[in-house]
Amino acid sequence: MALTLEIVTPEARVYSDTIDTVVIPTTSGEVGILPGHIPLLTQVEHGELRVTKNGQTSLLAVSGGFAQVEGDRVHVLAEHAITEEKIDENAVEAALKRAEEQLKAAKDIDPQQYEHLQNLVRYSGVQLAVKRRRR
Amino acid sequence: MASTRDIRRRIKSVKNTRQITKAMELVAASKMKKAQQAALSGRPYAELMARMLGALADRVEESHHPFLAKRDVKVRGIILITSDKGLCGALNSNVLKLVTDIKTPAKYAVIGRKGAQFIARTRRELLADFPANDRTTFADIKTVAEFMVKQFLDGVVDTVEVIWPRFRNTLAQVPTIMPILPLSSVKDVIADLHSDAGVVASASTNVKAVDSQMLFEPDPAVVLDALLPLYVNREIYQHALDAKASEHSARMVAMKTAKDNATKLLGDLTLEYNKARQAGITQEILEIAAAQFAA
Repeated sequence: MALTLEIVTPEARVYSDTIDTVVIPTTSGEVGILPGHIPLLTQVEHGELRVTKNGQTSLLAVSGGFAQVEGDRVHVLAEHAITEEKIDENAVEAALKRAEEQLKAAKDIDPQQYEHLQNLVRYSGVQLAVKRRRR
Repeated sequence: MASTRDIRRRIKSVKNTRQITKAMELVAASKMKKAQQAALSGRPYAELMARMLGALADRVEESHHPFLAKRDVKVRGIILITSDKGLCGALNSNVLKLVTDIKTPAKYAVIGRKGAQFIARTRRELLADFPANDRTTFADIKTVAEFMVKQFLDGVVDTVEVIWPRFRNTLAQVPTIMPILPLSSVKDVIADLHSDAGVVASASTNVKAVDSQMLFEPDPAVVLDALLPLYVNREIYQHALDAKASEHSARMVAMKTAKDNATKLLGDLTLEYNKARQAGITQEILEIAAAQFAA
C-alpha cells in the first residue's frame, strides 16, 4: 500500500505523487507517516520534509502550515514549499543576507515587518540546510 | 479643406497610435492569460483548507477567536484593490464609484496607485498604501492582509472588507464589496471555500464519516485558531489575483477598442487625403488648360 502525498501553497500545487513514507516537521516535533497512520491534523513548522519513494529520499523545504492525514492520503498546506532541485542556493543566500542586515540595522521597525523578516530568515536557513545536506 | 501635407501628417500619427495600442493589446492578452491561470491555481488550496476546517468544525465548540466575535461597527476597514497603471477603460473609476457610495466612517488600506491617489484626493482616511506588482505574490498580499487584521484586532477598525473589480469574464468586471472580518461562523467559511474551489458542498459530507477518530496536535482549538488567519490571508490573496485578472482583461478590451477606432479613423483620413490629392491634380490640369487657351 502506498501513500498519496500532496503539497499545496496558495500559489500552486508543489508536489503530488504516490510515496512510501513521509517525515513532516510539526510544532511538536518531526512526525513520520507510514501507510495506515491514524487520521491526524497538525501544524507544520519551518523545516525539511523528507519523502521516501522506492528507497530514494527527496527533500523539500516548507514553511508554516498544516498537514492532514486521512486514510492513505497526506495533504500538506504550506505557506511556502520548494523542492530540493528548485532551490537556488545563491539567490537564497543573498536574500538571507539582505534580511539579516535589515534585521540588524533596524532596531525599532514595526513588529510585523520584524516577524516577516524573521520568517524569511528561517525559511532561507531551512532551504540552505536542505540544499547542503547531500554534501 | 486641409492640405494634403497636414492630412499625411495626421495619418502618420494615427498609424503610430494604432501600432502602440495593438502592441499593448497583445501584451495585456498574454498577461491576462497568466493572471487567470494564477487565479485558478489557488483552487486546490481552498479545497484542502475547506476539508481541514470541515474536520475541525465538528470538534471545536464555537471558538473564542477574536475573528468570530461580533462587535458594534463604528469604523469600517476597507481594503481597496485597484491597478497601478491606467489605460484600462472604466475599471478603476467603476471601483472607486463604490467607494464614493460609502457614507459611514471608514478607513482604507489601498493596493495600487490609482486607488491611493483617489483616497488622498477625496480626503478619506488612508491607513496605508501598497504597490500593485505585476506578479501578485502571496507574501506581498500577506503583508497587506496582516496589516489590516492588526488594525482590526487593535480596534482601529471594526470590520475588514475588500473592494475589488470582480472578474466575471473578459468583457465584464463587476466592482464588488465583500466583508471578510468578523467571520460569521466556521460553517460559512467552509461554504465560501467550497465555492472558491469550484466543488459542490456535498463532497465534504462523505469525508466526515471517515475521520471520526481524528487526532489533533496539539489540540483542535489551537489548530483552528492558527487556521483562521491563514484563511483570511488566502481570501484576500484570492481577491487580489481576481483583481489582477480583471485589470488585464479590461486593459486588453480598452486597447482593442482604441485600435479599432484608430483603424476606422485611418480609413476616413486616407479617403480624405485621396480626395484632396485628386482635387489638387484636377486644379493643376485646369490651370494648365486655362493658360493654353489664353496663349
